[in-house]
Amino acid sequence: MSSRLVSPAGGPGGPGRRRQRPLNPRTAFRIAVIGGVALGAVCILVVRLWFMQVIDAQGYAQVASSNAIRTVVVPAPRGFITDRSGRVVLADDVPSVNVVAFPLELAGARRLTEMRMLAPLLHTSATHLMRTMARGQTASPYEPVVLAENISATQRAVISERIRQFPGVELENAYRRNYPLKTTAAHILGYTGLITQAEYKSYLAKGYSGTEQVGQAGLEAQYEQYLRGVLGQTQVEVDASGDPVGTAPLSSTPPVQGDTLQLSIDMPTQLALEAELRQRVLSIGRATGAAGVALDPKTGQILAMASYPTYEPNAFVQHSPHNTRLVTQYETSKTFTLLNRAINSYPPGSTFKPVTALSALQLGRLSANELIDGPSEIKLSGTVFTNFQKENNGLIKLPVALEVSSDTYFYQVGYRFWQLHQSVAGLTNANTGLQQQTMAERFGFGSTTGLDLPGEDPGRVPTPKWKAINFGNTHTYLLDHWIPGDNINMAVGQGNLLATPLQMAVAYAAIANGGNVVTPTLGKTVTNPSGGVVRQLSGVTPPRPLGINSAFLGVVRQGMFLVAQGGQGTASGVFSPVAAAGGPVVAGKTGTAQSGTKSQADHSWFVGFAPFNNPKIVVAIIIEHGGVGAIGAAPAVCGTIAAYGPTKFNPHLCGSAGAVKSN
Amino acid sequence: MRVPRRATSSGVRAFLAGLDWIMLAVVGVLLALGVLMIKTSTTHAIAGNPGYFETRQVIFLIPAVAALLAFAIFDIRRLQPYPRVLLGGLLGALLVVFAIGVTVRGANAWISVGPFQLQPSEFGKIALVVVLAAMAIERIDDIDLWRTTVTLCAVAAGPALLIFLEPDLGMALIYAAGLVGVLFIAGTPWKHFAVGALGLATTVLLAFWILPSVGIRVVKGYQLERMTAFLNGGHGNTAGYQLSQSKTAIGSGGALGKGVSGATQTVYNFLPEDHTDFIFAVVGEVFGFVGAALVVALFGILLWRALRITAQAATQFEQLVAGGICAMFCFEMVVNIGMNVGLMPITGIPLPFVSYGGSHLVADMAAVGVLLSIHRRRLAI
Repeated sequence: MSSRLVSPAGGPGGPGRRRQRPLNPRTAFRIAVIGGVALGAVCILVVRLWFMQVIDAQGYAQVASSNAIRTVVVPAPRGFITDRSGRVVLADDVPSVNVVAFPLELAGARRLTEMRMLAPLLHTSATHLMRTMARGQTASPYEPVVLAENISATQRAVISERIRQFPGVELENAYRRNYPLKTTAAHILGYTGLITQAEYKSYLAKGYSGTEQVGQAGLEAQYEQYLRGVLGQTQVEVDASGDPVGTAPLSSTPPVQGDTLQLSIDMPTQLALEAELRQRVLSIGRATGAAGVALDPKTGQILAMASYPTYEPNAFVQHSPHNTRLVTQYETSKTFTLLNRAINSYPPGSTFKPVTALSALQLGRLSANELIDGPSEIKLSGTVFTNFQKENNGLIKLPVALEVSSDTYFYQVGYRFWQLHQSVAGLTNANTGLQQQTMAERFGFGSTTGLDLPGEDPGRVPTPKWKAINFGNTHTYLLDHWIPGDNINMAVGQGNLLATPLQMAVAYAAIANGGNVVTPTLGKTVTNPSGGVVRQLSGVTPPRPLGINSAFLGVVRQGMFLVAQGGQGTASGVFSPVAAAGGPVVAGKTGTAQSGTKSQADHSWFVGFAPFNNPKIVVAIIIEHGGVGAIGAAPAVCGTIAAYGPTKFNPHLCGSAGAVKSN
Repeated sequence: MRVPRRATSSGVRAFLAGLDWIMLAVVGVLLALGVLMIKTSTTHAIAGNPGYFETRQVIFLIPAVAALLAFAIFDIRRLQPYPRVLLGGLLGALLVVFAIGVTVRGANAWISVGPFQLQPSEFGKIALVVVLAAMAIERIDDIDLWRTTVTLCAVAAGPALLIFLEPDLGMALIYAAGLVGVLFIAGTPWKHFAVGALGLATTVLLAFWILPSVGIRVVKGYQLERMTAFLNGGHGNTAGYQLSQSKTAIGSGGALGKGVSGATQTVYNFLPEDHTDFIFAVVGEVFGFVGAALVVALFGILLWRALRITAQAATQFEQLVAGGICAMFCFEMVVNIGMNVGLMPITGIPLPFVSYGGSHLVADMAAVGVLLSIHRRRLAI
């Protein structure tokens, strides 16, 4: 057959050469068409390659390196928190294991499959894990998302054994915050937690990775900038299953532990204060809580601060079903477990009388030797005001008025402030002539003290303006206008006046130290891990002079001495046995503050300092609905002072209030 | 003693002089590049045995070169009288695959021979071209008739259908390409191709769109996924992952490539099947635009030489065989590289001479041998 196809015609070959079979034109054209198609295809492919590899190469290169380079975060321990000696650690870190997932490596249907497998191991639901993943991916797609923190050893063993089944999921070493003394100082320390969605942006701007634990309450939040450890980073090359390739990391930054925060807290005092508060609340059935502050009157350093009921901060950092329940319980408790009552405001009651006295003395409206009648009741500006338990104190001078805590004496002092106000403002509701308020503000009332702890309540010093704003809509003259009763009630620490235990301690510190209003501080120093002082935290703000004649301070201190030591002193039953046995001389003032709701018992207050001649400690304690000051709060103050080194004595020397005659 | 030796050596000289050395050089470069790329992409594939794949590929080269030489010496015209025997043998071999075949990567296309697997459909593609060429020559005077076109289509449809059922869609399409090549060179009227193209378009629409939308499954789900991955940019499924990793590998290669040590996509196994169907992506990542364009250009040269051989063939039968082989090479090259760069559906067609695999290597080398043999006889009349 082939021979039939041989053509005799000559080809392009020259003479003497064998000739090729001539190509018929149709076939030649068709071969040319195939050639054209092939050439076209080659050109298209080359152009495509040019676009991918020359024009868009950058983008592809970026995808390739994000494929193969993984940043492994090396955890950094958070800085420790210690007491004033530096020996007692209040917050430290323990190693823990987290389950993390890389959102970009876990895309599509595989994500749900893996989350369904993981959920039972992590005691959660796949839906919850999927939501966590989605949130993490939106926030920062290249960062690992923490699916579970601080998993148990059993979980860790199970997951690490099956880790091959979970590409894109890893176990990550981290540190977990730990509070070794459990409930001790809980309200001061606060706790840490994951960065919340609301905080995310601001933390990211400060260089956080987004998966770190940050201070969420208390000093943990206040001093986050020092306590924060700086995560280390190691960049490694990984293969498709996420396993590191090679041995040397591409780059590596070591982690840096956070700085140590040394507090001014004195452990014996803190423990004694907490024990006293707990014991008082438990023994006084109607009491709903208690709080106390002890500070050094010269420096403002806080020696102890406590609030009861208290909580277990470890419940916030150590995740377990039990702890989750515990946290819910805290957050919904009717007694406001998480509230730091030491910086929450209450009517101060009679503990405010020394402030009233000093204000009047300084304003020239009262003289120390002036004899004023302290009857069982007194009619002022048409209203009858009664003395505590309708007692008649007779004609008394200021120190005795403090000693016996005569209300009728101080009502009259309060009325003098009204007269002062009226002389300027007349009978209008003008916000002028507010000397009583101005003097109170000098002691620090009505504004925060500047304590280095979030959540401080400024309390309240009532003014005509405040009444108008808050009761203007009632259109009731007694409520929305400043009336004589406002000055009179404020003089005895009632009415609309509110103060925190901390404010009381700061005011008494000013009286005790000769007229300097200190700024209270919990933090003392920040030291780096190698021990160098990074920053001084206490004594940074210089004390503010009270501007009150020191002789007047002496008179009031004399009255406070009589309260605790005098024959008629409201708290002498508690404190005089201590002095009699050679212990420090305590001075102070009781308070029995009406809490507004008649059905509940009064708040029990005592604020005192010791030793009388060279005060080293001021303690302010309130027992919420604890009744009479001398019974509830005064013994607690005594027990607290007994624990502090410079004023140490046997706490059993603290007496009982005996028969309560006065507030 | 000396005379026969002289005669033999002059025969060898004539044989060597008759070879298309340009085509051989191109094939040689592609083979060498293939072994190097297989080495690069499989270093971490089998723990503790980094040289497994490249060693096997080098072993495959021995029968491949033997096949090339055998077919270069063999006169393909000796098969011309037996198209029906050849077709019967081809269909028989494909049926044997159905009976005793093993499944590799989803397709039941292989039969085990010792430590190797043989893929009969690869060798079958040359047989089919020979069968079609011979039968076209028998009807060359009636080549304009519909009867001829339909008969030849029916002949090709038999083995192609068996292969489609394996299922190996890619190989079935290569058979179709061979058919088109033979018919086109033989002179089948344009009208027939137009009708065929229309029929193909209808079939594709029916199989991939119309029938599935009324609930009839013609192609398997993963096939549809692979076929359409390149259209939506490749998101959310395995085929999409494959495609996006391939494009990432090629694109990240840049103009000059990342070198063997810097090719993270390949070396760290981000790109599955990188030693077989996606070997071109490895070239793109390691050698960049320069290397990838060079490979495309080498295939261009290969096709040029193949078309030249087609044009110069001594007999029309050989011309049709050469045309069919040429069409298949062209189709394999375009579809494989096209799917690597995201222009073509993923169909599981290896890149001739470069991809890992024994059967296609031996078959493609045999096809080159056939072309060389045709080339050698171009002036032999």
